[in-house]
Amino acid sequence: MEFDLAYLMAQGPALMRGLWLTVQVSAISIVLSIVIGLMGAAVRVLKLPVLDKLVVGYVEFIRNTPLLAQLFFIFYGLPTIGLKLSLFWSGVLSLTLWAGAYQVENIRGGLETVAKGLREAAFSLGLTPWRFFRLIAAPMAIRVGLPSMLNTSISLLKNSSYLQAIGLAELTYVAIDRISMDFRTIEMFVAICVIYLALVLVLSVFANRLENRLNKPFRV
Amino acid sequence: MTLLVKNLPFILQGIGMTLALALATLLISTMIAFILGILATLRFRWLRWLVKAYVELFRDIPLIVNIFFVFFVAPLFGMELSPFAAVTVGLSLWGSANGTEIVRAGFASVPRHQWQSAAALGLKPWEVYLFITGPQALRSILPPFVGLLTLLVQATSLGALVGVSEFFKVGQIIVERTTMMEGWNPAFTVYGAVLLIYFVICSALTWFGRWLERRLKNDQRRPASVGPLLVKPLTQLP
Repeated sequence: MEFDLAYLMAQGPALMRGLWLTVQVSAISIVLSIVIGLMGAAVRVLKLPVLDKLVVGYVEFIRNTPLLAQLFFIFYGLPTIGLKLSLFWSGVLSLTLWAGAYQVENIRGGLETVAKGLREAAFSLGLTPWRFFRLIAAPMAIRVGLPSMLNTSISLLKNSSYLQAIGLAELTYVAIDRISMDFRTIEMFVAICVIYLALVLVLSVFANRLENRLNKPFRV
Repeated sequence: MTLLVKNLPFILQGIGMTLALALATLLISTMIAFILGILATLRFRWLRWLVKAYVELFRDIPLIVNIFFVFFVAPLFGMELSPFAAVTVGLSLWGSANGTEIVRAGFASVPRHQWQSAAALGLKPWEVYLFITGPQALRSILPPFVGLLTLLVQATSLGALVGVSEFFKVGQIIVERTTMMEGWNPAFTVYGAVLLIYFVICSALTWFGRWLERRLKNDQRRPASVGPLLVKPLTQLP
């Protein structure tokens, strides 16, 4: 079986459609998971009475269960009690909830490094908690937490391939689908491996740039 | 609830399969990880690059693609792998890449002067690895390996995609069967229960990992450390 480049070219458009879906799902989920992460981390750092425990439970639960089972619970389980979501949004929801748990920890790790004295100083200068968070804590925390936040985002991008299990036609789904029709196994795997590696590479180059930029004022 | 009781033997079988898969993968991954991880600490630059390329490749490709790759490509080279074997190989490639990084980092965490003083005392390189840096590295290697096992238990659920009847697949089958035979869809209950059971197993492992970490950290203050057995022969050297 030799490598058939012409075949690969012919599959280009289909792969691109899959890639586009992968990028869409990942981008939306990454943004939403960071929102969850910010809220969860704020709850944990401020130690709000009941919510705090809930967030801990959520994080532990997500981290100790397989994403595939979470996905099936959301896509097949929720409709049976009357919560029906579309294929796309089920995927987004499960990826968001999954990555959100990790983002809570990443951002919390960053926030914890903001010294307690700083908070007291800010309060004694008359800053409201919210302004302290927005102007002082968040910028400092993001700088510390960013590398792990980007790592989680990269994992999310890779894990968007889980959505092929519920039949969302993203990149992996397209490839597996073609393989079962045409049996050009090698071509398809080379194609998707290269695409995934390229995506990860682009994200990590972006991550490095961002880190460098944020670290600039702190370099001696 | 009756659903779970009725399918109990089936479920236990699935859990057994999941654990078997996770342990087999862990064993293979550990072996590869130690070989590659130690190779990465050696002085040859190209060897380090090679190991790094392996690690990066299998960390950056989605695990699902990895498993499908083994499952679909092995037959092309005349190897008919059973689904179980294919998943084991696919997971091992991923697990060993992560394990290699853990082992490499573990050895890197041992201060350099340990090597230098051991060499100055006239120990051969393999003796240094076995008696000096190894036991120290093991302390930082063990807890993350328990973490890796937790991840592997979760990752075995991907076996369901290629037809290994592990725990998650069992859940799927119960849902399908009940829907077909009894006309109601138990997806919410069954997948909920599946999540809970995974949660119990993995939490136990996570807890064990944390305990081990605390334990090993405490040990650092006492002279008798990780393995008195491993260190003992050193006292007999001239």
